[in-house]
Amino acid sequence: MSLSRQAQTELIRVAAKAGQLLHQHGAESRLVEQTTQRIGMALGARSIELSVSPDAIVITSLFDGDCITTTRRCYDRGINMQMVCDVQRICIMAEKKLLDAKQVKERLNRLKPMKYNRWAVVFMIGLACGSFSHFFGGDWQVYITTFFASAAAMTIRQELAHRHHSPLVNFAIAAFVATSIASLGVVYEFGEKPEIALAASVLLLVPGFPLINAVSDMLKGHISMGIARWVFASLLTLSVSVGIVASMTLTGVVAWIG
Amino acid sequence: MDLITLLIIDAWFAWIPAVGFAMVFNVPKKMLIYCAVGGAFAHSFRFLLMHFGMPIEWATLATSSSMGFLGLYWSRKHFIPRPVFTVASVIPMIPGSFAFTTVIGIVQLNSGGYSLELIQIVVENGLRTLFILAALSFGLALPSIMIYRGRPIV
Repeated sequence: MSLSRQAQTELIRVAAKAGQLLHQHGAESRLVEQTTQRIGMALGARSIELSVSPDAIVITSLFDGDCITTTRRCYDRGINMQMVCDVQRICIMAEKKLLDAKQVKERLNRLKPMKYNRWAVVFMIGLACGSFSHFFGGDWQVYITTFFASAAAMTIRQELAHRHHSPLVNFAIAAFVATSIASLGVVYEFGEKPEIALAASVLLLVPGFPLINAVSDMLKGHISMGIARWVFASLLTLSVSVGIVASMTLTGVVAWIG
Repeated sequence: MDLITLLIIDAWFAWIPAVGFAMVFNVPKKMLIYCAVGGAFAHSFRFLLMHFGMPIEWATLATSSSMGFLGLYWSRKHFIPRPVFTVASVIPMIPGSFAFTTVIGIVQLNSGGYSLELIQIVVENGLRTLFILAALSFGLALPSIMIYRGRPIV
């Protein structure tokens, strides 16, 4: 198999696109690295070297002593596992020689992030935080308070994300709203232990995926990626806490600690 | 109540957050059922282990590594990367309220000044967050660290 210079340029563009999609939609670094390399090799490169950093990927293809290097900036597009699955599927099809470079490119360009109906997500997240309140030992009144507090917070989180506000501001405001609604339950003594709703209703704002990705990146040798994700997740946690504290100061309901 | 009933109630309340968060991460529709099964299994298994007196960190490690291997099986069956199932399934076990308690404690240390009680809250909750989180991620990564070691899983 031989590649012209032009074909090799085309190949590296396709591989870079795949890596960029994976990176932007929240895949862990090992997956970004492996899948990009596999797509490049399946399309005929001798080897693919790539460097994954928190906001960009640099990728080099090698063929017959000829190197082509390209960089792609990766803006965060939010976690989307369906995109990750689709890129992985395209990679496997390319490896099985079911697709050539042109078809892989076409398919990658056709991918559109799927989003669930937003009200379905709001409803499920309300129930989810309600379940957390059950785990903390709350009764059905607390479940109801938690449901409404976290559903309201989720609606706000979606609205602000849709308007491209900073996630840090977004999470602080959502935490403020959730805590304020949950503290109504404490003020009106709704249920046995209404302060449980305070702790449960903000759990939708835990940056769980970034935290798990951070630790697994570090475990698999991508230390700098892991640190970057860890710092970002910690900042999110901090801004959620600032939102909670602001609300507690305003309403005077301090039931969290103690 | 006997143990079986408690386990079933625990599993019932655990699949809801697993699916809810899977929807936030836009897991494909067909895979949501696996997240539900994984979430219910993981949380009730940890409940069982803790019921027999295992500390929460070790129970989490045991649970998340079995979830890691279950995810391995599903991932090779459906040709889908593992985090799609595994992360959503362990979401109900993420130490969210420990993490928030820690940081709220730090914020209050700043505003209210030093107090032994606050320091205790910060240190205890902070350490618990760290260890549970490390146990979770390490358990999930176990198959690729111990068995696959750099080879792709799907």
